[in-house]
Amino acid sequence: MTETLVEVDQLVTDIDGNRILNGVSLQVMRGEIVALIGGSGTGKSTLLKQIIGLLRPTAGHISLFGTDVWSASSAELRSLRQRFGMLFQDGALFSSINIEQNVATPLFEHTDLPKPLCLKLARLKLALVGLPGSAALKMPNELSGGMRKRAALARALALDPELLFLDEPTSGLDPLSARAFDDLIRALSDSLGLTVVLITHDLDTLMSIIDRAIVLADGKVLGDGSIAQIHQIDDPWLRAYFATREAPRETRSAIAGTTSQRAASNVTLNTI
Amino acid sequence: MPPTLRTELQNDTLHIYATGDWRLSQLNALPAWQYAPLPAWIELDGGEIVSLDPSGALALLQSLADRGVNIADMGLVHFSVAHAAILDLVRGHFDASQAAEPARRNWLAGLGRNADAGMRHLAHLVNFVGILTTEIFDLFAQPRRFRWKEFVNQIEAIFVHAIPLVFTMMFLLGLVFAYLLGRQAERYGANIFVVDGSALAICRELSPVIVAILVAGRSGAAITAQLGTMKVYEETDAISVLGLSPYAVLVIPRVLALLLALPLLVFVGDIAGLLGSMAIANQQLNINPAAFINRLQQELDTPTMLVGLLKAPVFALFIGVIACYMGLSVARDARSIGLNTTSTVVQSIVAVILLNAIIAITLVKLGI
Repeated sequence: MTETLVEVDQLVTDIDGNRILNGVSLQVMRGEIVALIGGSGTGKSTLLKQIIGLLRPTAGHISLFGTDVWSASSAELRSLRQRFGMLFQDGALFSSINIEQNVATPLFEHTDLPKPLCLKLARLKLALVGLPGSAALKMPNELSGGMRKRAALARALALDPELLFLDEPTSGLDPLSARAFDDLIRALSDSLGLTVVLITHDLDTLMSIIDRAIVLADGKVLGDGSIAQIHQIDDPWLRAYFATREAPRETRSAIAGTTSQRAASNVTLNTI
Repeated sequence: MPPTLRTELQNDTLHIYATGDWRLSQLNALPAWQYAPLPAWIELDGGEIVSLDPSGALALLQSLADRGVNIADMGLVHFSVAHAAILDLVRGHFDASQAAEPARRNWLAGLGRNADAGMRHLAHLVNFVGILTTEIFDLFAQPRRFRWKEFVNQIEAIFVHAIPLVFTMMFLLGLVFAYLLGRQAERYGANIFVVDGSALAICRELSPVIVAILVAGRSGAAITAQLGTMKVYEETDAISVLGLSPYAVLVIPRVLALLLALPLLVFVGDIAGLLGSMAIANQQLNINPAAFINRLQQELDTPTMLVGLLKAPVFALFIGVIACYMGLSVARDARSIGLNTTSTVVQSIVAVILLNAIIAITLVKLGI
């Protein structure tokens, strides 16, 4: 069971003259849940887009299931894409069709199964991610954020992929929904034998469901290992990151003052 | 290896053997099998299953359930641990996958729903016009709150940037109109009357209506899309929270800009259309520009020009109100912006043509 599903080798990426990734190498084995962490702008999302074949890297190799993504023919890439699922940050559900149709779309496109059976499979996936039957016929904009994420996860699972990519699965969810989503991912991974690669900023996700974490900083892999091993790395960003959980309130606000990149939401009225 | 089912009866127990790859990629249709009548106890034997995923498990359970097997109460034997886990998971959610197909909408209910939506739309539009009116009165009380910068920006977008388009379109239209009119007039030796016909048609009807339709498509759509996007990103809510009114900040400058820009554009259209007619009259009918302008001065009277120019603000008001209303009534999803933008263009064009007919009939009755 040590088959390598994802292999990234010496990946270099320049975007608009800026070097985003500078020699990133990593591997993901079958059955693992691996988290990509790192500060804002360290190229996590770029890396993920390159792995799933949406963005071409400047140099380096990426293979999924042993096939090089960027030298594969379009037919190979198509069959490769049926073997992994992707959950986008805001769900990316198609807003013009209902939830059930959203989940059934990959089945309509990639299988020859009769339509009623496709819809039954879609309903099964919706039940697996814990959505009530009443949600199936609703439109995406009628669901809450947490339910939209679940529906998007159901769509990612529609073709029974072996590998699942999640971009910030718990962002925008309240803590209870976020923990429930974590548990769901872990449960699905355990029962279906899924391999999961996820980007997250959520320390609770990291502490609860992850087998291994890969830290990106300055376009390179800073650390790769269990949470305990990552904890040992002496790096200012990582220290501050873990301190947000351990430090009492007073020091936390001091840290936040120096490290938080979150700008206060400002409303620009220049178009008015 | 395709998934198949095989049955065997032993000691009053029906053994169903599932064999092969029960995976989504291997499924084309539910595997066929039959056995009747079913005995009381059924055992599903999974010893020969090569691979199983949730879709395959559902297909397996579905093909059993379709033949009347009670899948909740049957024996599972020889399943591997991993396969049994998946099958149990899917069996637990089997009922949820069986939801009935929704009933087809009947057309009478659809008609009722649409009529209801139409009435509600009309009521909201009237409400919108009411709010807009009170906001305009508020503005009279506090003229300093008028957004000059936004107003000027809108004038630039709606008027200045539209001049080349309006000029080209109306020039071509005037050209074609005078050409076709000239073909008829030539036969009766009534060449000079082409000037009368073109001038009357262009200044009174063609230019106001065509320019209004162009503006509805160009600026009406832009206004709806822009306000709709602001609504989706909660910018309009932010304006309210800052103690300002979205009507004063966004709607009034746009409607006023349209009120000013459309008559100006109609005038541009008049000039362009007459120039087009003049060009073709010179070529085809031997009416030189001097003769054309001379005839124009005799025949094109002030009321005709005014009727054309004064129709424009009426069209502008309707385009502006419809576009702003549709923009601010966008729901919070991406699809809605597109729908409302399309709807703005359709409603504005219908309004322009309807209003034009009403004005034409009224003016004829009044003898203008």
